Amino acid sequence: MLRNAGLTNMSSMHGGMRAWKGFVAGGPPEAGMAYFPSASRPEELIALAWSLEEGSRRFYGALAGSLQDRETMALYQGLAGAEAGHEATLLTLYQEVTGDRLAAKIPDTLFSGIVPGEVMEGGMRVQQALEWTTGRSISDILDLTMALESYSYDLYLKMERTLTDGNARRVFLVLAGEEAKHLESMAALIEKRRTPDAP
Amino acid sequence: MSAEAVKELMKQKKPGEYNLIDVRQPGEYEQGHIPGAKLIPITELASRISEIDPAKPTILY
Repeated sequence: MLRNAGLTNMSSMHGGMRAWKGFVAGGPPEAGMAYFPSASRPEELIALAWSLEEGSRRFYGALAGSLQDRETMALYQGLAGAEAGHEATLLTLYQEVTGDRLAAKIPDTLFSGIVPGEVMEGGMRVQQALEWTTGRSISDILDLTMALESYSYDLYLKMERTLTDGNARRVFLVLAGEEAKHLESMAALIEKRRTPDAP
Repeated sequence: MSAEAVKELMKQKKPGEYNLIDVRQPGEYEQGHIPGAKLIPITELASRISEIDPAKPTILY
């Protein structure tokens, strides 16, 4: 059936999900999109993404300021900086989509009753996440961050599939690619912490 | 294709350069899925085949 439909370059993953040892995202297909019940307009999706980035930027920034381990602190400083860069990208996209080239920020009216930056990627409240990290090991915090970034990667690809505007779709693909890089950086740091004597 | 090979392909390619399709049931997807995977339960595959870009490599699980 699939080959008849033109899907000639197709493979099945042996062992299915049970064989998968990589990052995992949870939630139903509409997870994360629920902040905007009618998030069909591109500018609403951009606002949602901006708000989540702002939440993550605050979370990573606060973490970087509270950690003692220099390498982990540098990772979180880098992540906070990357999220700020994503916000700038999303503002530019907002300007392009709406034609309002002079917009200095995304209007509050697009946030549909949520407080921008209160919730971060992964759907978790920033304050709640920071409270959770108190007294936790760095490994636990890194694991949480991996889960958040996996969720974010997943969400951006869902957003990309929801949009019809070509430029907007490309931006969400770029953001997803950025999240994939964050995941790789964290995976490398976690691996290094597991094998501290490795070269 | 092994799970390791899928992971390697995801690392080498950019998001959007391949189709990653989760053909399990919604409840299974909700419990945990490969980030970026699109849910098309196997029972709906025939009717939703147009959602898969035939120009890109496709991985099903």
